[in-house]
Amino acid sequence: MTFEAKTSGSDDLKAIISAISTLVEEATFVATAEGITFRGMDPSHVALIDISWPNSAFEKYECDSDIKFGVRIDEFSKLIKRAEKKDSIEISISDQNMLLVTVGKNKKYKMRLIESSATDTPLPKIPYDSKITLSSSKFDKILGDVQVVSDYLTMHTYDSKADFSGKGDSGEVIIELEKDSEEIQEITSKEDSIGTYSLEYLNPVVKAVGTTAGHITCEFSSAKPLRIEFKVANIGRIHFYLAPRVES
Amino acid sequence: MGLNLKSLVIREKTKLETFSNKVIAIDAYNAIYQFLAIIRGPDGMQLSDSEGRITSHLSGLLYRNINFLSLGIKPVYVFDGKPPSLKTAEIERRKQIKKDATIKYEKAIAEGNLEDARKFAQQTTSMRDGMVEDSKILLKHFGIPYIDAPSEGEATAAHLTNTGQAYASASQDFDSVLFGAKRLVRNFTNSGRRKIPNRNTYIEIEPEIIETQKTLDALEITREELVDVGILIGTDFNPDGFERVGPKTALKMIKQHSRLEDIPPIQDQLKEIDYEQIRKIFLEPNVAKVDEIIFGTVDYDAITEYLVKERNFSEDRVQSSLNRLKKAIEKKSHNLDQWFG
Repeated sequence: MTFEAKTSGSDDLKAIISAISTLVEEATFVATAEGITFRGMDPSHVALIDISWPNSAFEKYECDSDIKFGVRIDEFSKLIKRAEKKDSIEISISDQNMLLVTVGKNKKYKMRLIESSATDTPLPKIPYDSKITLSSSKFDKILGDVQVVSDYLTMHTYDSKADFSGKGDSGEVIIELEKDSEEIQEITSKEDSIGTYSLEYLNPVVKAVGTTAGHITCEFSSAKPLRIEFKVANIGRIHFYLAPRVES
Repeated sequence: MGLNLKSLVIREKTKLETFSNKVIAIDAYNAIYQFLAIIRGPDGMQLSDSEGRITSHLSGLLYRNINFLSLGIKPVYVFDGKPPSLKTAEIERRKQIKKDATIKYEKAIAEGNLEDARKFAQQTTSMRDGMVEDSKILLKHFGIPYIDAPSEGEATAAHLTNTGQAYASASQDFDSVLFGAKRLVRNFTNSGRRKIPNRNTYIEIEPEIIETQKTLDALEITREELVDVGILIGTDFNPDGFERVGPKTALKMIKQHSRLEDIPPIQDQLKEIDYEQIRKIFLEPNVAKVDEIIFGTVDYDAITEYLVKERNFSEDRVQSSLNRLKKAIEKKSHNLDQWFG
């Protein structure tokens, strides 16, 4: 069995690991000849992360048989954070159930793998009526704006326009978006849509991936789950699914 | 009481949260008994309603189940049926302990020694008529399913882990391991902060999980052999075990000789116990066959009505706890499961 994957820098891996760490404590990755994938949900099944990281995104990638490996995500995260921005990260697996992580040229970590208890996680099957593509820094700012008055973000699309709003005990806010510039690239809707999503879940993942993603795409339909796509290293991607909040 | 396997099994600390979305088969008598023992005033008196009926078990069930449901855990309670006849000696022994403790309790109260009084009061804990029925009423209002086992509750709970209907069984007793539970959770119904008797300090009690297969692998024995180890140490069906045989010796004997019949030094004692019957209780237990475990919804009004009007619980406390549950359930109901289709 050969498995070796080497990144050219450390930012993408840092982003992926911290995104996963917002939802789970233990993560099971699957490596195949095509690349590395991860799928997992938080314990209450409110949010799901689905990651696909194709072999071509790596500087060097080799995997001749499918393998699963489980890590404690906080331990893995701490380790990866020791890398400088430009450091390459190379991972492989030893016979003794250890993950070998070479950071840069000369830092060699060994980390104990855990028994993977992962079960197959399905993906939500839903049609998405609306799509908004904007810069991740803009989205992060909007979340901050809404957080001032509310714990929930309401996304609304109509006539190729969109607004984000929030409502709480202390007051409310509405932020109008227009397809304009660099910051907001696309607003399309097959049908006018309105969906409300918890900032408790949105904030951490948006912060975790941060500016690594550049632009992100939000897709949703009225009162249905939201899917956010973060592009990583141009061809890899993180899909983040979030259940809607339904007013009772 | 129970089986002293503590030093042999592999116990791993865990958190209550890890059981969310999982079905846990709870040894109901074991849980209720613990509530009755623990939920007491400083002088050792249990909580009671205006008619003098004890309500400690209801208080325990109320707050614990609110906790479980808030975390998305799916509890199913398994009640004992008729104990195997071999358990008579153990039941008598427990009665005697309670009698002795009652005398000590009264003495401690007379001397004004509250710490001792509380300790002895806990040892007098017993299930009384009506408590099981009370508990079932409350569970029904919670929409929490319960099962009446034909014999030992733990055996049926263990069985549910093998049919895949439950993730783990929950009990303080290690017997579940002998009954073949895939996983046993201890401290499931009593995790949290607890005062240490006679000292002014508290400890944090955390749930711990025992995977039976892991334990068997580590000990390098089979489940049948583990049952024999249990019989050597002493089970509820031969509470005295064997003379001068503790957990370590028992394990050594079985690893060397593999079964009771082949251990030379114990043969005289072995003649006096019905070990084949005991093996059968653990390996081919009399269990309830359950078609489907159906989880209902919480009837908040019915819980309040029963606990406040009939059993004199404080309305404010019940209401605020139920509100906490309502919020948690509302949050959970908006998860992704319904979209997987």
